[in-house]
Amino acid sequence: MQMPEKTKDFENPTKVYLDHNATTPVAEEILSGLPIIARIWGNPSSIHWAGRGPKSILREARSSVAEILGGVSSQEIIFTSGGSESNSCVIRGIFDLQVQAKSGEKLFARNEYITSNVEHPSILKSFQWIEKRGAIVHYLPVNIKGEIDLAQYQSLLSEKTALVSIMMANNETGTIFPTQKLAKLAHEVGAYFHCDGVQALGKISLNLTKIEVDFASFSAHKIGAMKGVGVLYAKRGSPVEPLVIGGGQERQRRGGTENTLGIWALGVMAKRLSAPGFSVAEYFPKVQELRNYFETRVLAEVSEVKVTGSETPRLPNTSSLVLTKVDGEVLLMSLDLMGFAVSTGAACSSGSPEPSPVLISMGLTRAQAQNSLRVSLGRETNKEQIDRFIEALKLTIVRLRNLDSELNPSPEVTATGASHV
Amino acid sequence: MSKGRVLVAMSGGVDSAVAAALLVDQGYEVIGATMQVWDYSSCNTEEGNGTCCSSLDVDDARAVADKLGMPFYVLNCESKFRETVIEPFIDSYLNGFTPVPCVNCNTFLKFDHLIKKMKELNCDYLATGHYAQIERLTENSVERIKIVTSADDYKDQTYFLFTLNPGVLKNLLFPIGHLKKPEVRKIAEEKGLLVARKKDSTGICFVGKGDYAEFVSKNATPEQLKNKKGLIKRYPSGQVMGEHTGIHQFTYGQGKGLGLDYHEKLFVLKIDPKDNTVWIGEDKYLFADSLTVKDYSLLDDLCDGELLDVKIRYSVKGYSAKVFKSEQGLKVQFEQPQRAITPGQACVFYRGRQLVGGGWIRP
Repeated sequence: MQMPEKTKDFENPTKVYLDHNATTPVAEEILSGLPIIARIWGNPSSIHWAGRGPKSILREARSSVAEILGGVSSQEIIFTSGGSESNSCVIRGIFDLQVQAKSGEKLFARNEYITSNVEHPSILKSFQWIEKRGAIVHYLPVNIKGEIDLAQYQSLLSEKTALVSIMMANNETGTIFPTQKLAKLAHEVGAYFHCDGVQALGKISLNLTKIEVDFASFSAHKIGAMKGVGVLYAKRGSPVEPLVIGGGQERQRRGGTENTLGIWALGVMAKRLSAPGFSVAEYFPKVQELRNYFETRVLAEVSEVKVTGSETPRLPNTSSLVLTKVDGEVLLMSLDLMGFAVSTGAACSSGSPEPSPVLISMGLTRAQAQNSLRVSLGRETNKEQIDRFIEALKLTIVRLRNLDSELNPSPEVTATGASHV
Repeated sequence: MSKGRVLVAMSGGVDSAVAAALLVDQGYEVIGATMQVWDYSSCNTEEGNGTCCSSLDVDDARAVADKLGMPFYVLNCESKFRETVIEPFIDSYLNGFTPVPCVNCNTFLKFDHLIKKMKELNCDYLATGHYAQIERLTENSVERIKIVTSADDYKDQTYFLFTLNPGVLKNLLFPIGHLKKPEVRKIAEEKGLLVARKKDSTGICFVGKGDYAEFVSKNATPEQLKNKKGLIKRYPSGQVMGEHTGIHQFTYGQGKGLGLDYHEKLFVLKIDPKDNTVWIGEDKYLFADSLTVKDYSLLDDLCDGELLDVKIRYSVKGYSAKVFKSEQGLKVQFEQPQRAITPGQACVFYRGRQLVGGGWIRP
């Protein structure tokens, strides 16, 4: 088979990928295994011989995922199409169950929901969806450091709270929320706690038996597996109302013939996370050191730059910069044209970025949000790439800032005819 | 060796697609960009009905860029478009004018915002799919750059370009200006660009299928729409012929949709925004042989009283007129009377094929 034209950027060694919070490169062992596993094409639900191979792929993957999430039970793992589906399923499902519990009445048993306003759109839009249908949703603000005010959170919790959903780590700034504490407080009022763990998996240590959440969402393609597979962890006894209704797969909790190929890949990558050389315990300090090296150099070598969320515990791979007088959108394009893939915030499906709502919610001004750049490192990122990136970044920032003062001369300069710089 | 880096504005239509393809052939390093200017979900557009820059058009532009193997970006220009194109458009209709929003889009978006993006992206040129040509002449070792009309007289779009800052001409490329529309389509077919058979854009992109009055009513604030009702009067008698619900529903020379059942054919002669009176009368009163232009801009020098070809709307050909400088702006004296000189439209001057400048017709 001839390789399509589209692969060429991915084969080009001069391209540098620094957008791992958007997605990650598919691991070599997945690439080599795919053609073999694709031959096991049977339907896992079949009773005959063709179902057995696929069924065992699911079983093994489920067990690897359960293991890596802190030794939870395999029965608590539901495979979905991705993090967004897992998130939507929990929020709409809990709402639906509350409505069913009091069907016919407009007042549901528990009809209040709490989330933060820096969540992924699949969370925020699901909450807006149930809000339109009668739910009361509280959106917790976060401060400039990316922290939630715990007192405010507690004041919103009550016996009316049905569900709390707060992410484990933010996709744009990498700031980490105190999930265990937040879940405990929710449980004290009898509410369910869901956690979007998509950005956390593979980057920080994760033990669901310890942090005691009721639901958690994960995504395969953020850890070197493939797009189209996600995980919904539902603790034993936590009610799951299927979002996709079908032939009873996933113990009636998610219909549709399973994506065996993608689930196999997820299983392999999950298993690898506990293998020597690949564990979070080994990866964390390594990538953190490289990220810190990047930030130290940028802070020293570029003027008027800030790191958002640096005072707060953060994902070790993420760096969110505010570069005064540099439009993030143009910076991203300029860097792209030089072969560097970075982001101005969450990857927006329309490709037409508005200033990041997450950064604005954190209290950055519109200008600061527009001047932001997100750099997220990955397992294959090396120092040589970072050095090349810093040089390109510096060059572009100087060029754009010179152009900015040329296009928008500052009033003092034009008024006095002399520069104070 | 690249001939330079070009940012090409791609609307999703066939013209800008072919412009991009020709630049690639000519050896430029080409980057495509579409300006997302308006949320088209609110208007009655459907695929291929020939509007510019809707989200389906963005997909088409991206597909062409992919096919040509060039980077492509969507630039969010919604707030700038609203501020510099939509709001003046609404305001203009509500003040008795008939605006030409495409000129503002060129002035503030294509040849200002995109020029800025061109510089920011380290490009040497900005290219568009306009039917217009750039002529570079060296006289006494000084380079003079002119905009001249397209080889396709029917499609020529220089009418919309009179506000261009002469300083940007050196960075402009109009790669299809020397071609006629059927040739452009043929090139698109030959290159297998999927937009080859897409319909031409007609009308105003953001209005969609509805009419202008409806667009203005929907998008103006209630405050703006207040007190726009008035009387329809017969000229010259002053006889009241009826009432109307808003002056934005009328344009000069309009003969249909006046809501009158009358034995003679009558036309809108004048819209008076002071008391919202719409004056109507016989066709003969629509003719005038001079007009005044304010807020004009020139791409080349103009001799006082020079005889030029003058266009008073996009869809007509130019007529000979002398152009005089006056304190108010420019006075244009036609050799023959013109029908329905309409405030808000652009009056554009040509010296042969050269675009000399233009300005806005005022009452």
